[in-house]
Amino acid sequence: MNKSRLRKPFYLTVAALVLAVLTGALLSGCAPDGGNNGELVVYNARSETFVKPLLDQFEEETGIRVRVLSGKEELVNQIEEERNNVRADVFISNDAGAMEYLRRQDLLAPNDSPALEKIDERFRASDGSWVGLSARARVLIYNKDLISEAEMPKTLQELADPKWEEKFMITRGGNSSMVTHVAALREAWGDEETGSWLSALHQNAGAITGGHTDIRRAVGAGEYPFGLVNNYYYHLQLEEDRDNKVGAIYPDQGESEMGAFVNVAGVALIDGAPNEENAGAFIDWMLEDEQQFEFSYHSKETPLNPEIRAPEGAKEIDQYRAMDINLTDLGPHWPDAKELIQESGLDLGI
Amino acid sequence: MPEKEIACAENRIAFYWQAALENPSRFRLYIWRGNPPGFIPEALALVTALVMFIPILYVLVRGIQGGWDRWLTLLDTRIPHLLWNTLSLTVVVSLAALLIGVAAAWLVTRTDLPARKIWAWLLALPLVVPPYVGAISYIIVFGPQGLVRNLAGETPFDIYSFGGVAAVLTLFTYPYVFLITSAALKRFNLNYEEAGRMAGLNHLQVFRKITLPLLRPAMGAGVLLVSLYTLSDFGLVSMLRYTTFTTAIYFQMGSFDRLSAAVLSVVLILITLVILWLEYRTRGRQKFVQDAGTFRKPLPFSLGRWRLAGLLGLGTVVAAALALPLSVLAYWSYYGIARGALDGRFLEYTSHSLLTAGAAAFFCAVLALPLVYLKSRHPSPVSSFYEKLAMAGYALPGVIIALGMVFIFNSYIPALYGTAVVLVMAYTIRFLPQAMQAEGASLNQVSPRLDEAGRSLGYPPWQVISRIILPLIRPGILAGMALVFVSAVKELPATLLLRPPGMDTLAVRIWIEASEGFYDMAAPASLLIIIVSAIPLKWLINRF
Repeated sequence: MNKSRLRKPFYLTVAALVLAVLTGALLSGCAPDGGNNGELVVYNARSETFVKPLLDQFEEETGIRVRVLSGKEELVNQIEEERNNVRADVFISNDAGAMEYLRRQDLLAPNDSPALEKIDERFRASDGSWVGLSARARVLIYNKDLISEAEMPKTLQELADPKWEEKFMITRGGNSSMVTHVAALREAWGDEETGSWLSALHQNAGAITGGHTDIRRAVGAGEYPFGLVNNYYYHLQLEEDRDNKVGAIYPDQGESEMGAFVNVAGVALIDGAPNEENAGAFIDWMLEDEQQFEFSYHSKETPLNPEIRAPEGAKEIDQYRAMDINLTDLGPHWPDAKELIQESGLDLGI
Repeated sequence: MPEKEIACAENRIAFYWQAALENPSRFRLYIWRGNPPGFIPEALALVTALVMFIPILYVLVRGIQGGWDRWLTLLDTRIPHLLWNTLSLTVVVSLAALLIGVAAAWLVTRTDLPARKIWAWLLALPLVVPPYVGAISYIIVFGPQGLVRNLAGETPFDIYSFGGVAAVLTLFTYPYVFLITSAALKRFNLNYEEAGRMAGLNHLQVFRKITLPLLRPAMGAGVLLVSLYTLSDFGLVSMLRYTTFTTAIYFQMGSFDRLSAAVLSVVLILITLVILWLEYRTRGRQKFVQDAGTFRKPLPFSLGRWRLAGLLGLGTVVAAALALPLSVLAYWSYYGIARGALDGRFLEYTSHSLLTAGAAAFFCAVLALPLVYLKSRHPSPVSSFYEKLAMAGYALPGVIIALGMVFIFNSYIPALYGTAVVLVMAYTIRFLPQAMQAEGASLNQVSPRLDEAGRSLGYPPWQVISRIILPLIRPGILAGMALVFVSAVKELPATLLLRPPGMDTLAVRIWIEASEGFYDMAAPASLLIIIVSAIPLKWLINRF
């Protein structure tokens, strides 16, 4: 009797575990591994909610199984470290600086697809290895209950002023929007000035977050008066049911001032991609008008293809003064910008 | 060390060396205390122990080789700040957990509170809530955009502060102290307290001079678990926007360079060792002997008018650590499910969790066997050494193990890099000790006389193992598997760093959804993880 009492739960539990593992195996087996038309490995550094619908649609239309690894800027590092062991086919990034950096490290493959010509040369790599799809400007989002448009700082320089201490939020310095922005500022201001500006920023920032969604929500909720984000976060916050009394300042718009920094999000072809053919097909597909629209529509960015209307609420690219910097020039400064950020202590958060 | 001792130690090493060279088989006999195991179990144990230890060793080596410049820069800029953040959090959380845990344990074991059995269960249950899930529920309720703000207009306190992090972390770690201390209180020999009473001490003095000192080992063990957890936590701390060594290593590894991450890891490993050493030191000086003697039920201490206060206190803890997270998650799950959170993908994520955790549970159960067998049946310095090597992963944060795995697989075993194998292996390294403890406890209850009986009836050793030992320690094997399974399902940082593309697990999804602020989409997965974690609760609680 003792024996049977011992055994029953044992077998039951073993059976349950085996069942669990088998169900797991079955379930993941059901999802066609590889599918009929092979697979596509996407490294995605963009907010997943903006990208998932497109990827699902691609999978459905082509029968190519899409495997996504969503992350943030750490994916750049990962691609770099997987140089001899390439797993990714394409890299969807929010940041031309990161993509150009990868290209200069010989980690991207040239692409001569005619589809690329829809995009202005300024917004794609010279060898076509990456191509921009949508534009985003760096702006200050502010809470209208806490601060008025007149009170808001109008230039980025002003953020270094101690009077803004604990008044604003920024992202962690490792965030690639931030890195490329710093690279651009280095071009405009030089190392020393950018460095001391970053240290002051670190000093003054009330909160340092991992991403921008945190910032728009927090500013909307009145946690802090304002924050440094990409312009579409402002439009996204406007759409919320609550906490939507926000405004946006495009910095440095004065006559002699440098203008807001404009970056592009896009897609890059990885060198040695295991599924190169699918990767090429994916990039061509992304450049079709419907997908271009979708890509910027979800996130309220401005499409780079001039034939495609900007989503309602998003500012057209010629409606504000943009920093006069060639994005492809920023790639080589990317590592230096990172170093500068590390020196200022902004890399890890508060 | 005095000179004489050093000389003595040197002589001893020379002596062993000589002995090993001259007569290897006798030397083996000697170091195994005359009872060496068979070749196969020893080989298995040795290989397992080494494999468990290599990734950590590799991180250490890379970190130490990180370069003087890198060390200097980090020592100058990063490390002092991180040290302060990490240590202050560890100390505050440990003390708070100690206070809550001991008070609650005393209330439910020694006083006349009503429904003490039910309270004991409720107070242990927060153990099944992964702290990062607890953090999500607190952000939903008390966050700057949370429910309280929406209802009352403002939040009572800032959840993204040191106090917020420490409070939430305490709520989900105090059960360690509670469980260990109440187990000790139940085994308590009453004679000492009675002697104290007869010697004229009042209740308070008895508690302070007799009860507390006798509980010292249990409290130490509890605080050790809490502080090691605090050092290793990634999810809760980073969701609440706080930076410790563990989160710094994670972000350093992601966006900047791995060598700096390895340098920070070396410091974190040192801190862990210091804490282990401190616990050992403070315990080591005192000797505790309780004779088994009487097992009378203690007379419950009458709380009198303090009963209400006691109930209120326990009620607050249970409400904050259990009722709040569960109800918030249930509520948000409802919304999430209505918005379509339970789609085909959710099933896929669940299956990935089950598969990887199931595989880890299986490997841990199998690999732990030779190690515990050697430890129990061939006790000697050698088997303890193997055991310690294999235990290394337990005290250390998942990020460090992940870092070691990335280093090793990317450089030396590229074919497996980026496959689920690496992930399962990381789980195994991290959680094997749980299987070892469960199986070891079981095996120690099986008398070696049974082995001898089997041998004398003509079974060869392997048949003794398969026909006598294994059937008898089944419950231990199962308990170990269940514990590993649950720990692996909950694991966050290593999973984030090592998952292959397209292989997101439930824990990863919770992280991704929550980091974008979609808490309703994170809620169903969180609830599922809590339910899964409740499976081995019986073993979890009895372990202490």
